[in-house]
Amino acid sequence: MAQSWRKVWKTFWRFKALYLMLVPGVAYLIINNYMPMFGLTIAFKDINYAKGIWASDWIGFKNFEFLFMTKDAWRITRNTILYNAVFIVLNTVVAIGVAILLNEVRKKYLARFYQSVLLLPYLISMVIVAYLVLSILNVENGFMNKVILPALGIDPISWYTEAKYWPYILTTVNLWKNIGYQCIIYLAAIVGIDPEYYEAATIDGASKWEQIKSITVPLLMPTIIILTLLAIGRIFYADFGLFYQVPLNSGSLKPTTDVIDTYVYRGLITLGDIGMSSAAGFYQSMIGFVLVLTTNFIVRLKDKDQALF
Amino acid sequence: MKNRKMTIMSLLLAVILILAACGGGGSQSNSGGASGSSSGDGPALVTMAYLVFTDVTDIDLVEEEINKISREKINVEVDLMPLDAAAWQQQVNLLLAGNEKLDIIMSSSLMGYTTQVSRGQLVELDELLEQYGQDIKNTMPEAIYNGTRINGKIYGIPSIRDFAQDYGMVMRKDLVDKYNIDLSKVKTWADLTEVFKVIKANEPNMAPLVATGQSNQPVAFMIAPVVDALSDGLGVIKMDDPEMKVVNLYELDEYRELLLLVRQWHEAGYTLPDAATTQEAGANLVKAGKGFGYFNNLKPGYAAQESLLTNHEMVQVSLTDAVVQSSSASSFMLSIARNTTDPVSAMKFINLLYTDADVMNLLANGIEGKHYVIQENGLITRPEGVTETGYQFNQWEIGNNFLTHVWEGQDPDIWEQMKAFNASGIVSPALGFTFDQSPVKSEVAAVTNVIDQYKIGLESGTLEIEYLDRFIRELKDAGIDRIIAEKQKQLDDWAAANGKK
Amino acid sequence: MKTNQMNQFAINVFFILASIACIFPFLLMFVASFTSEQSIINEGYTLFPSEFSLDAYRYLWDNVSSIGRSYGITILITAIGTTAGLLISSLLAYPLSRVDLPLHGLLSFFVFFTMLFNGGLVPTYLIYTEVFHIKNTLWALIVPSLLTNGFYILLIRTFFRTSIPKEVIESAYMDGASEFRIFFSFVMPLSLPILATIGLMLGIGYWNDWFNGLVYVSDSKLFSLQNLLNRMLQNIQFLQQNTLGSKAMSSASIPTNAVRMAMAVIGIVPILLIYPFFQKFFVKGLTIGAVKG
Repeated sequence: MAQSWRKVWKTFWRFKALYLMLVPGVAYLIINNYMPMFGLTIAFKDINYAKGIWASDWIGFKNFEFLFMTKDAWRITRNTILYNAVFIVLNTVVAIGVAILLNEVRKKYLARFYQSVLLLPYLISMVIVAYLVLSILNVENGFMNKVILPALGIDPISWYTEAKYWPYILTTVNLWKNIGYQCIIYLAAIVGIDPEYYEAATIDGASKWEQIKSITVPLLMPTIIILTLLAIGRIFYADFGLFYQVPLNSGSLKPTTDVIDTYVYRGLITLGDIGMSSAAGFYQSMIGFVLVLTTNFIVRLKDKDQALF
Repeated sequence: MKNRKMTIMSLLLAVILILAACGGGGSQSNSGGASGSSSGDGPALVTMAYLVFTDVTDIDLVEEEINKISREKINVEVDLMPLDAAAWQQQVNLLLAGNEKLDIIMSSSLMGYTTQVSRGQLVELDELLEQYGQDIKNTMPEAIYNGTRINGKIYGIPSIRDFAQDYGMVMRKDLVDKYNIDLSKVKTWADLTEVFKVIKANEPNMAPLVATGQSNQPVAFMIAPVVDALSDGLGVIKMDDPEMKVVNLYELDEYRELLLLVRQWHEAGYTLPDAATTQEAGANLVKAGKGFGYFNNLKPGYAAQESLLTNHEMVQVSLTDAVVQSSSASSFMLSIARNTTDPVSAMKFINLLYTDADVMNLLANGIEGKHYVIQENGLITRPEGVTETGYQFNQWEIGNNFLTHVWEGQDPDIWEQMKAFNASGIVSPALGFTFDQSPVKSEVAAVTNVIDQYKIGLESGTLEIEYLDRFIRELKDAGIDRIIAEKQKQLDDWAAANGKK
Repeated sequence: MKTNQMNQFAINVFFILASIACIFPFLLMFVASFTSEQSIINEGYTLFPSEFSLDAYRYLWDNVSSIGRSYGITILITAIGTTAGLLISSLLAYPLSRVDLPLHGLLSFFVFFTMLFNGGLVPTYLIYTEVFHIKNTLWALIVPSLLTNGFYILLIRTFFRTSIPKEVIESAYMDGASEFRIFFSFVMPLSLPILATIGLMLGIGYWNDWFNGLVYVSDSKLFSLQNLLNRMLQNIQFLQQNTLGSKAMSSASIPTNAVRMAMAVIGIVPILLIYPFFQKFFVKGLTIGAVKG
C-alpha cells in the first residue's frame, strides 16, 4: 500500500514544474467560476433576499415550468437547434475554405489586406448590423426594394413581416459577421503545417486539390474536432444580438426567429425573476453538456488524444 | 539572448501574480465621492441611488451643497449615487442582492417594485413614516399616499408629480395654423380622421400620425384611459366599473373598435408603412419633417416640453378625461433598501426632500448661478451663453417637485395647474392595488411572449383585424385566464380588506 | 506550392467580391456618420446622402474629455488584460497538452466544465465585490474577463499538441533543460501563430467589452470606451422605447443616428490600425527548421 503511494508521489514530483504552471490558471478558474457555482442552486429556489441565497426555500422544478408549458416550447427549441446546426456546419466549411484560399494567395500583402477586411464585420456590433440590414431591407427605401427587386422585375416585399425569408437572412448575416474571425484560427493551424509535406506531395505529382484533401484537411482535424465539440456544447445557446436586434423586434417574424434566449428575455423582462432566468440557463447548459459528453465519448473511441477530455 | 527572454518572462509572470494577489486581498477604497464620512459623533451618511439619463459631471458639487444644508438641519449627509438608465436594472438587482452600502433607492412599479417587495429587498416604511417622515403625508392626496401598499404595508413613497393622466395628440402648431384646422372641433379620436385627411392631402411626404416609439403605438394610448391596467395589463378592470370585474383587455369591444380605427388610418396612408418596425422616436420623426404629430399621455406643459425636442412649436389637444389609475402612485417612488444600516437617518433625509425647497432645487436643477439663474419673472433659465451644463436632472422622479423653480418656457403657475389637474382626475376604483405575479409567473412569461408577438403590429394598424382573433386564442393557450382568475382573487381580497366592496 | 495563373485569378476575384461585401457596410456606416440627421431619417443610409454634416462629430467633440479618458482606460485594460490572459492561458494549456502528465484528462474536463456551467451573474458579482472588493476599480475591468473562456485554453492546448513536434521537447530534455526553460524558449516561440490568434481575440474582447463596466463600475472616471458609448446609446433607447420614456423625454438631449454611427467608427478604427501588426505573426514557428537539421 505504502509502495503505491510512494510511486504516485514520485510521479507527481517528476512533473512538479508542470503542475506549478497550472497554478495561476487553476486558481483563477476556482475564483471566477467554481466559487460562484453555488449560484446554480438559484434555479431551484424561491429566492428571498431577506433570508439570503443560502437560506431561501427549495421549490424543485417550478422555475423551469415556463420553458415547457407553453406551446412555443417546441418552436423555440427547434429554431435554436436548427439554426445552430446549420451555423456549425456552414461556418466551419466556409471558414476552412477561406483559410485555405487565403493561404494560397501569392502576393502576401494582398492576403493580409483581405484578412483585415474580412475581419471588419466581426468588429461591428449587432446593433449597428441591425441598422445596416434595415438599410438593405427597408420596405420604402431599402437597397433591395429600391434597386435590386425592380431590376429583376419583382414587386417590393415587406421583409419585416414575412417570416419565411428570415432563416436565410439570419444565416447569411451570421456567416458574414463571423467568417473573418473564425478563419483566423484555421489559418493559424494551417500555417503550422510543415511545408515539407507539401513539397513531398508535389514531387510525387499530387494536384492542389489532392494535396488539400490528404494533407491540409487531415492535419486540421484536431482543430476542427475541438471547435465542433465546443460548438455542440453551446448548441442550445443562440447569439442573442443576432436574433433579437436584427429582426428589429418584429412580432410577425417570431415563428422563424424566436429562439430560447429571446423567448426567455422577452418573457422575463417584466418579471425580472432571477430563479427563472437561472433555470433557463441551467436547462441550456445541461443539454449541451450531455451532448458534448456523448460526442466526446464517440471521438475518444476513435482517437483518444483528439477528444476534449 | 534566450536567458534574458526567460528572465523577462518570469519577471512579468511574477509581477502579474503579485498584482493579482494584492488586488484580491487588500480592500480598495470604492467610494462614490462621499465627503467627510465619519462614524461616531459625526453626521450619519446615507447613500441614495436613483435613475439618470445623462452624465452628471457636477454631481460632487451639488452633493456638497446639499450636505451643507442637511448636515445642519438633521445631522445627516447624503452620498448621491446616480445610475444610468442603461445600467439601472442590472446594477439595482446586484446592489439589492448583496450587502453593499445602500440606504435609499428609487423604485417603480414599472421597474420591479412588486418583485422587490416579494423578495424581501425593500424595508417596511409605516412606522418610520409615523416617527420621522410626518411631513410627507401632507404633501399629497391621501389616496396616493396609500397607493403603494402591498399586503397592507407601505414600501415606497410616491414622488410629487403629475398623478393624473389624460391622453391626446401633440402636433405641429405651424401646420395647424397653415391649414386652418379648428382643434376645438376635435373631441374624440375619430375626429382626428378629418385632420389627418387635410394634412395628407397637402403634405405628401409627411405622415400625419407617427408612433411615439416602437413599443408605444397609437392604440396603447387610446385604450389607456378606458381601463385600469392593474399593474401589468394582463387582466384589467374598466374605469367605470365599481364592481371591479377583471377582464381580458384584448377581448374588449372598445379595443377592437380602436384597432379598426387605426387600421383604417394605416390603410389610408395616415401612418408610416414601417410603423411597426421603425426605431425612430416620434419626436425625431417630427423633427425631421417626416411626421405631423403623435399620441401620448399629456399633462400641463407637455406641448412646451415636446417643442424643445422637435424644434417646432407644438400644440396639444386632449381627447380623454384625466384619470388616476392604480399605478399612478407607484410609478416613481423612494424606498429604503434592506441593505440599510440606518433606516432612521434615511427616513429623515427623505422627509427633508419633501419639505426643504433649497435641497429640492439643488437636486432637481443644480446650483444657482452655475447651472441656472433666476430671472426677473421668477422663472429660471440657463446662465448666459451656456449650452451644456454639468448638471441635469428632472422634476418628477424624486421628492416634492412642487417646491422647485419653474423653467423658462413653462407657465409660471405650472405647479398650481398640476395640482388642479391631479385633483380633476377620475379615480380608479382600484387605486392602491398592486398585483403580485409570483403565483402565476410561468403563465406571465408565456403570455408576455404572445403579447410581444402581436401587440405592436395590431396597435400600429399594420396587421389586419383577423389577427386579433388569433392573438386572443394564443393568449388563452398561454394561460391568460389563469392570470385573470388569480388577479380577481387578489383584487377581491384587497377590496374586502379596504372596505371597498 | 506554386499555383497557375488561372487559379490565382479566380481566388483573387473571390476575395475581391468578399471584400466588397465586408467593406460596403462599413463604408455605409462611415458615410452615415457624416450625414445630417434629416437626411438619414428621410432617405435611410446611403453612400450618397443629400446632406452632409459634421454634427455627429461635433457632439462627440463636446464630450471629448470623457471620450479621451475612456480611450485611455480601454487601451490600458486591453494591454494588461491581453498580456496577462495570454500568459496564464498558455501556462495552463501547456501541461494539459502533455499526454504524459497524470490527470491531464481530468484537468481538461475541469477547464471545459466552466465553459458550460456558470453560477450566474449574481453570485459572481457577490464574490468579486464582497470578497475581493474590486467594484469601481480597474481590476473589475480586467479580472472577470481574464480567462473568458476555457475555449482559448483548449485551443492553445490543441495547437501545442499538434504543431509542436515531440522531437523538440525530447531533444531539449536530453540537453537537461527544465520544464520552464522548455516552455519559454522552445514551445512559446514555436507557437507564434496561435498566440497571435488568441492574443488578437483576447484583445478584441477587452477592447469591445462594455458589460464588465456596466455591472462593476459606476464611477464615470473609469468608463472604458465601449462602456461609455453603450451607456449613451442605451440611455437614449431606454427613453424612446419605454413607457417610462414617454414621461421622461424632456430631460435628455437625444443624440442622433449619425452619432450612433460615429461612435461605432471611433470604436472600430483603432483595431483596424493595430491588426496589420498582428498579422506579422502568422508565419511558421522560428526554430522548426533547426530541429530537422
